[in-house]
Amino acid sequence: MTDKRVREKTLIQKIAENKRVQSASTFVLPVLFGILLFILWEAGALHVLLNTDTFTLPLPDRIFTIMSDNRDKILSNVGATIAVALIGLLAGSIIGYGIAVFAALFKTWGAAGLSIVAAFNAVPIVALAPVMTNLSKDISDDANTRSMVAKILVVTIVTIANMSFNAFRGLTELKPFAEDLMSSYAANRGVTLWKLRVPNSIPYIFIALRVAVPSSVISALVSEYFAEYIIGVGRQIRENIVLAQYSSAWAYIVTACLIGITMYVILMLIEGIVLKRRVNA
Amino acid sequence: MMNRIWGKTRTILPLLLWILLFVAVWEVGALLVEASKRTPENVLPHIYQIIEAALNPKKVSSGESASQLVLSSAGLTLGRAALGFLVGTICGFVLALIMKISKIVEKVIFPYLMIIQMIPILGMAPIILSITGDINTSRIVIAAILTFYPVATGTLAGFNSVEKSKYDLMHIYAARKIDLYTKVLIPTAIPYIFTGLKIAAPMAITASILVDTLQGDKGLGTLLSQSLKHAMSIYVFWLIVFFSAFVGILSSKLMGNLERIVLPHKRIRVSRAKEESI
Amino acid sequence: MMNTMVRETREVEINIKDVGMTFRDNRGNDVEALTGINLNIYKGEFISLLGPSGCGKTTLLRMVADLLEPTTGSIHIGERLPREVRLDKKLGIVFQSPVLFDWRTVQKNVELPLEVMKFSKSERREIASSMLEMVGLTRFSEHYPNQLSGGMQQRVNIARALAVRPELLLMDEPFSALDEFTKEKLHEDLMQIWAKTNKTVIFVTHNIQEAVFLSDRVCVLSPHPGRLSGIVEVDLPRPREIAVKSSARFNELVLKVRNTFDGGSL
Repeated sequence: MTDKRVREKTLIQKIAENKRVQSASTFVLPVLFGILLFILWEAGALHVLLNTDTFTLPLPDRIFTIMSDNRDKILSNVGATIAVALIGLLAGSIIGYGIAVFAALFKTWGAAGLSIVAAFNAVPIVALAPVMTNLSKDISDDANTRSMVAKILVVTIVTIANMSFNAFRGLTELKPFAEDLMSSYAANRGVTLWKLRVPNSIPYIFIALRVAVPSSVISALVSEYFAEYIIGVGRQIRENIVLAQYSSAWAYIVTACLIGITMYVILMLIEGIVLKRRVNA
Repeated sequence: MMNRIWGKTRTILPLLLWILLFVAVWEVGALLVEASKRTPENVLPHIYQIIEAALNPKKVSSGESASQLVLSSAGLTLGRAALGFLVGTICGFVLALIMKISKIVEKVIFPYLMIIQMIPILGMAPIILSITGDINTSRIVIAAILTFYPVATGTLAGFNSVEKSKYDLMHIYAARKIDLYTKVLIPTAIPYIFTGLKIAAPMAITASILVDTLQGDKGLGTLLSQSLKHAMSIYVFWLIVFFSAFVGILSSKLMGNLERIVLPHKRIRVSRAKEESI
Repeated sequence: MMNTMVRETREVEINIKDVGMTFRDNRGNDVEALTGINLNIYKGEFISLLGPSGCGKTTLLRMVADLLEPTTGSIHIGERLPREVRLDKKLGIVFQSPVLFDWRTVQKNVELPLEVMKFSKSERREIASSMLEMVGLTRFSEHYPNQLSGGMQQRVNIARALAVRPELLLMDEPFSALDEFTKEKLHEDLMQIWAKTNKTVIFVTHNIQEAVFLSDRVCVLSPHPGRLSGIVEVDLPRPREIAVKSSARFNELVLKVRNTFDGGSL
């Protein structure tokens, strides 16, 4: 019987398993891939792959040139889109949370009402947007205001559907015996709500926001198509394509992506700060 | 027996009441609108008016009644949405599989997967149409991209939820990699995939309708824009709104039903004392 | 250590020589989980690894199962390494939690290892059915795991481990999560099954009474670092009934095991 020694690892294995290399590669590899894509794009290889031309899919430097040349116009459109998205997000979250609280306090009635609200999640935005545009026809004489209201309504409804469902889970999915504990303190429903359910629901609010934030941006963009007044990043994409001004359209597309990514990153930062002290059960 | 009926009534009753409440609020709104507008049906018609229009056999356009028009266009739109949905599901699943098999691929792709969630794909619909040049292809592409993300992340979540002890068990049996995937990882992922599908189904439909509005072609979306511009009765618009809402909700429920068929063990209530037959 | 002269004639199945295991923890420090383990396990014997948490008993079991490799020393099963025995599919393992697949029926769960080992459909059916009969669960073969109680799930776990007719059965605290009544019933069942099949069993537990009741020998392990403090021979006659737990000899042995332990209270 031979004595077994600790297996000698090959050099490559050692490098691969090294913890520092592993954590670095999580960052480095995607960046390298991104740079590769960028080079392919600029060089025109991407065009061959997608069977398109530099007119429809302009080269990156052209897009950036247009973006910096038209900075002011782009920013004012960005402003319009973000305003719609944020206001709708805020209003929808507050109302949605309120509905969830109501549903949590009156369990049987609430749960059914909630399933109706959650059903709105499945209603296509394309059906919702024109309805809202029509409904808001009388709100004001100014076309811009009317459109803003319509768009905000769309984003609000979509956010309500999402937030109410997740907030409800947060308010009701408590650890076992947590409610029993509160009732052993003879706590009434209001106290239990404030001290137990609401804090419990905070991580769920962020779960909802992770979907709601990108979705509010999308809803804002799509509802711009159906609005009266021509403003907003999404609308500009459409208008420019219709006029075959592809470079401008792409400028707005890149802008839209940047909006989406920035808002999501901000959300993650906020989430990181708020949830930092919580220990994951 | 009576208990079961009472139990079912108890769950349905609140739901019915809420629906009634919703209808009531709508009607009130319709009355208000009627009082102040010349053409109220443009803004908010009565529910019965909508129902009436649905049942009305009068020819609205090109020899079809309102309902027929909606349904035939729907077939087109939904069929392509379904195709995109299928393509997206398969791609999402395959990508997740590859990401699980190769750690390098996972590291490279993961941030891009997150980015897809963050960018408004639906907002990019016009450009995708321009690139592909063909409305049907673009419809399928967009539906596929929208389905792809929830399915891929769902599948990955499912794979990553497998406990270490299952891996140990398979190790003890000296199981090959393929057995590990087919007998453990993929079955574990299935419920998670369905969660993704339930989200993706309505989105694929939305995408398909949206693409219709960009370019005239007999789909639901084109019908939508046409009726909005009063090329035909406004009731067609309302029918489409309700129909698409209905189909959106139905598609999600359909996924739920499909899940119950594929995963019979989920239906079983955990009741140890009773011996339930399946 | 009790005299090993009587046992010298028995065949050694597993030889654990000078085995040690050192882990690197999160902060980069070396943690010595096991050190200097020397142990011979005989063919057909039922031996327990007993100790509190952190004494390395599970680690030792996992090394025999080829789930871990010792940093020093060697383990041989017969003339072979654990890895070879595992690849030869001669190992059976029963974990503390049942690790059953929710989406498979009880019958299909027991058939799982047989599927991996490419048995034919009819063979699988036959073997699984006989295993379920042995653990008394034939009536539930078409049920799903979440319809069964904890004790029943563990019995399925055992049936599955035995389905491949392993040379060696490894059990890692299989009954710790169960209540006393279920535990006792399963002890009886396990003893009956073991008597019928004559396998070598390594049983990990932190419960002294359980170890003494079930085993031929009890290896007492103490923690920090994990080491073998002693081996106690259990000479109670077989078959053993629950009643033996109140006998004087049983309690003597329990006390002896306690005293063998030298790492604090057991």
